[in-house]
Amino acid sequence: MNARGGTAGWPLARVLPLVSVALVAAPALVGGAYSLAASVGVVGAGAADAAWSDGWRVLLTPETWRSLAWTAITSAIATLIALATAVFIGVRLRSSPMGRWLAVAPIAVPHVAAALAAILLLGQSGLVSRLAVGVGLTSVPADFPALAYNASAVALIATMAWKEFPFLALTVLAVLDTRGSALEESAQTLGATRIQAFRRITWPLLWRGVAPAVIAVYAFLLGTYEMPALLGPSDPVPFPVLTLERSTDPDLQRRGEAHVLALTALAATLALVAVHQRLRAASGDGD
Amino acid sequence: MSKTHSTAARLVCAAMAVTAGGACGRSDLRSTAAADMHALVMASWDSVVAQARGTSVVWRMWRGDPSINAYVDGWVAPRLRERFGIQLDAVEGQGAEIVNALVTEREAGRSRGVASLLWINGETFAQLRAEHLLAGPWAGRLPNGSCVDSASSYVARDFEQDPAGYESPWGTVQFALIFDTARTPHPPRSVEELSRWIRAHPGRFTHDQGFTGITFLKGVMYAVGGGVQRFQGGFSEARYLEGRDSLFDWLRALTPDFWRAGRTYPPDVAAMHRMFANGEIDFTMSHNHNEVATKVAQGVLPPTARALLLREGTIANTHFVGIPFNAPNPAGAMVVADFLLSPEAQAEKMRPDRWGDGTVCAPIRVAGDWRNAFSDSARHRLALPADSLRRYARPEIAPEYHARLLADWRRIFRRAGS
Repeated sequence: MNARGGTAGWPLARVLPLVSVALVAAPALVGGAYSLAASVGVVGAGAADAAWSDGWRVLLTPETWRSLAWTAITSAIATLIALATAVFIGVRLRSSPMGRWLAVAPIAVPHVAAALAAILLLGQSGLVSRLAVGVGLTSVPADFPALAYNASAVALIATMAWKEFPFLALTVLAVLDTRGSALEESAQTLGATRIQAFRRITWPLLWRGVAPAVIAVYAFLLGTYEMPALLGPSDPVPFPVLTLERSTDPDLQRRGEAHVLALTALAATLALVAVHQRLRAASGDGD
Repeated sequence: MSKTHSTAARLVCAAMAVTAGGACGRSDLRSTAAADMHALVMASWDSVVAQARGTSVVWRMWRGDPSINAYVDGWVAPRLRERFGIQLDAVEGQGAEIVNALVTEREAGRSRGVASLLWINGETFAQLRAEHLLAGPWAGRLPNGSCVDSASSYVARDFEQDPAGYESPWGTVQFALIFDTARTPHPPRSVEELSRWIRAHPGRFTHDQGFTGITFLKGVMYAVGGGVQRFQGGFSEARYLEGRDSLFDWLRALTPDFWRAGRTYPPDVAAMHRMFANGEIDFTMSHNHNEVATKVAQGVLPPTARALLLREGTIANTHFVGIPFNAPNPAGAMVVADFLLSPEAQAEKMRPDRWGDGTVCAPIRVAGDWRNAFSDSARHRLALPADSLRRYARPEIAPEYHARLLADWRRIFRRAGS
């Protein structure tokens, strides 16, 4: 960046970005600082009777780690499915206006609505289960496999993937649009199969473009509340649900635990940002 | 410990004051609000009403039921506007959320908060009082308070706590199971019959993980743990552990025959209503004995759904309205609370096709016409008869029982599937 008024002491062009970065970071910094203070019982409801370490004891319970691991795994599976769908649509349907339209349609559906629709569709007494009875696959709806409210989380993963793939598809389409298909075409002219062309040319170029979006989607799914609250199991408790449970626990002295869990989620997200930075550096794209 | 606490708290307050433009000083905030409240309570009621005219009142309340919202927004609000010139804005916020919001407002130094009225009871009242977040006492000042059935232990006590004028009663509800006469023509009528029914119908019964589910379990704890009187008179660790163990024995014998073998539980009663209506389970439950009437009218539950009370009794309680310590408009809040207690507002609220919420007024203490309106309001083909409600009502016990039962149930039963 080359500011024109460089000798004027406080060049606007240099200060403005700093101000905007500070504005963007302020809520996270203030929130993080507050949670840190609340986690050691300095502020917050019930703080007066709590010892500083009460909240942090939540990190010693296996429930916390089971919950975090379960959320990390289901979110990862959903992210991968969303990515695969986005890449498929981007590569195969990019020249079709209809395909492009389909790829972004779910963006307009709120997460809560998507989750409720998933219950009506995939719940054990939902539409699919009733159709299965109708065509004689099962005799009663209860014979249909449980897809919602259970640890294998098929309905939850499907909903998360369905809600997130359009965001990735938009990124994939944007990356593909900026560089046309000349490279793949020449590769195929030189005898590469379509799969080889995809693997050796399209994917490596695509990955550099979409990696930040994939990390953003994963970070979002780790922290999102509505979908796991409506579709998730009661054991393990999805991590965002566990956090809110502690924050509304009838025992005021457990508020500190909610803040420790929130800080844990923040640490997980920061770790993802670090991974992202490494990825960029490794691909020689660091700036 | 407490000294380091307060020093550190002051540091955090100072840091927050710089960023949020507020100022800390709990005691200052409280004394200003207390002085305002004191002046209001000493003033004549006419001057309270005059102060309230032309103001608006933000009411933080649970907004999860369309019938309740319709009563508040479509019936109460227009009347407050016409008669008192008060603009009522009901906003979402319940239980622990209210406590968290008020604690945050206090720490940010907001001597004028957002809400002037809160819908609360039980553990929320206990937490708000423990954190000194309620203004008062003021409830004894309301003219319509003369109708309140103060002789009833259900109305005069809130989970065994003395409201002490810091909250004003609004309505009463009683826990009920909901079944479908088309599917279950002969439903169980006692805890023992329910146990047998669950064993004979595996996968068709469950309870939710929220407030209603824990209230159901607490009711069973009364039944299998020697009756409610064992748990009355404040929280007792020893009696809690005995009651809990009897309840958990009952559960251990039955959860294998619960929905999904007790490996998972529905998140809330809304999910249970949905599963019940879809035929996935045969019972749902409600904290309100008349919810079945409003939910049938809304089409959420099938027309053949009915409420039932178990013979061992079901938990009845009263819900209240309170005024927060930093209410921007305590005069307006008092006028609203008073209107909510008027026989007219109480009778309308009782209608099962409206909300079906029980009254906190003693019929004997309201004028004759209204007494008839009360009994008319309670009449509905889906409503449970008033004398059975009275006969099977059991009081709430100290809020610690609920908190402990919730924590222990989560730790032991919610994890049972793993």
